[in-house]
Amino acid sequence: MTGLLRATWALYVAHLATFRRSRTAVYWTLAFPLFFLLMFGVVLGHGNREAFNQLMPGLFTITLISGSLFGVSLRMVTERETGILRRHHLTPVHPVAIVLAHGGIALTTLALSVLIQTLVAASAFGFRVHGSPFTLIFVLLLGGVALIPFGLVVGSVARDSKVAPAMTNFLFFPLMFLSGAALPFSFFPEWLQRVARLVPTTYVVEALQGVIVRGTGPLELGVPVSMLLLTSIIGITANGLLFRWESTEPVRARRLVVAIVVLAIIYAVAFALDPHLHIADPR
Amino acid sequence: MSIVIEDVEKVYGDQRALKGVSLRIETGGIVGLLGPNGAGKTTLVETLEGLREPTRGHVSVLGLNPFREAHRLKLRLGAQLQSTAIPPDLSTVEVLRLYGAFYPRPRPVREVIDRVGLTGMESAVVRNLSGGQRQRLALGMALVHAPELLILDEPTTGLDPVARRSLHELVRALRAEGCSIILTTHYIEEAEQLCDRVIVLRAGEVVADGSPFELIQRAGGVSTLWIACSGPFDPSALVAAGATPQGREGEHHRFLTHDTAAAITALAAMLRDQELTLTDLRMKRPTLEDVYLELVGADAAGHDAVGPDPAVGLLMGAAR
Repeated sequence: MTGLLRATWALYVAHLATFRRSRTAVYWTLAFPLFFLLMFGVVLGHGNREAFNQLMPGLFTITLISGSLFGVSLRMVTERETGILRRHHLTPVHPVAIVLAHGGIALTTLALSVLIQTLVAASAFGFRVHGSPFTLIFVLLLGGVALIPFGLVVGSVARDSKVAPAMTNFLFFPLMFLSGAALPFSFFPEWLQRVARLVPTTYVVEALQGVIVRGTGPLELGVPVSMLLLTSIIGITANGLLFRWESTEPVRARRLVVAIVVLAIIYAVAFALDPHLHIADPR
Repeated sequence: MSIVIEDVEKVYGDQRALKGVSLRIETGGIVGLLGPNGAGKTTLVETLEGLREPTRGHVSVLGLNPFREAHRLKLRLGAQLQSTAIPPDLSTVEVLRLYGAFYPRPRPVREVIDRVGLTGMESAVVRNLSGGQRQRLALGMALVHAPELLILDEPTTGLDPVARRSLHELVRALRAEGCSIILTTHYIEEAEQLCDRVIVLRAGEVVADGSPFELIQRAGGVSTLWIACSGPFDPSALVAAGATPQGREGEHHRFLTHDTAAAITALAAMLRDQELTLTDLRMKRPTLEDVYLELVGADAAGHDAVGPDPAVGLLMGAAR
């Protein structure tokens, strides 16, 4: 156990050193989220504080989705493609340590993105949270922990670094548009609003809107929080089972299908119990 | 017994990379796997490392099965892959610290850096290292846990002669410390100078096995003698001792012989009988290179050899 933690920490520290030395990584983590924020704030916010506040849950969600998918999957694929994972395989390091370290660095860069967005949003556009800031931090972290495994799964399943971006885009757009993060639900036909209930990110938007706009406490966020917790657990488990050392290893397709089916059942049950959206469109 | 390989076969699609290889390798010393590209050297060492499972046959390394007892073996085995991938944005110290963290009792990073001769390069980032420095770092990565057995896959390929020689020194020093080493190479001089035992692979089969000296002896190659004397001489005694005259090259008479000892003895008697003085004597013994080229075929030395070759049949007795 201590061996696993020590290896995880060492891998995390190495990822951090690599991150610091990479200009593109810093750009995607800091500049890109800021660009998105300015676009939202200037174009959609109209200088109205309350209107801008209502945009923040969607903005945070988009940041979480892109930060959980793009860099994350590519890092894993590149490590496998270039043979770094193959070299790791000669040592006693456990795959779980490798997956955890990848998740850890993704969560760290995500936290940096969200932090800089929050600081600029608060100082330039008057962003403020109606609920507790701790609840906000908790929801953002949980959102990251729930979504990062999707990027990691792509990283384990994708054949090479050319296929990975296509697969992440395939996930990115439904996760973004069906959750109401990018477009208000009033743009959607009724049936598509129902489908939104089956998308994990909808629960991220719901929880963020609760804490930011309505000042909802953590206990009242029971449904979205437990859905995100379940998603995290399934996602992390799936990653432990889908890890591949080498590109020549076959993808464990049956395990992938089982993980998707389990996830689908959970979301279907949640939908059957309560098919109504709990998200209000920004005014 | 350090390593036992029994009738190992590895098939990729319709290609047989290893065709029933059996070997026993004792602990201690440097064992070289020599062969042209595609002979199966990498497949064989990666089977020992537990990276490739054989299609058929049995492998035991340090008394352990590389697949079922992988974890225990990995604690005792250090390996360098052919063109090892190293995280490009880390410094040498960061790389060694990372790999040390994978083992329960790693050597101090400082010690490994000094051991592989990277002192002064501690904060250099991997992508800026030269080929030789990278190979040293890859060797350092294989040494962080002080392994008993070291497997190096083409450790000197692509290095300049100076870097290659200093890597040889390093490997010899590791042997002196009691580390067993298996290395693959397609440099014949490397095998001849560095290895205590050379195993020649060709198209997935072992075609020769022994010390460089034994291989040359067993191959029974032809030596060339150049003899210069104070006056004209009658070579009949030399011919009787088995040497074949090849005519003159300036002052020198050239002879070919399978038995240099008999030829020299005959020459000494002849000089005495004919009252001649020897002004010059030169001799070229067969090298491992001659033996190797005969084994794998001169045209195959650069690429994979297929199909039977009479020279191989002749030398199969050399394979244990």
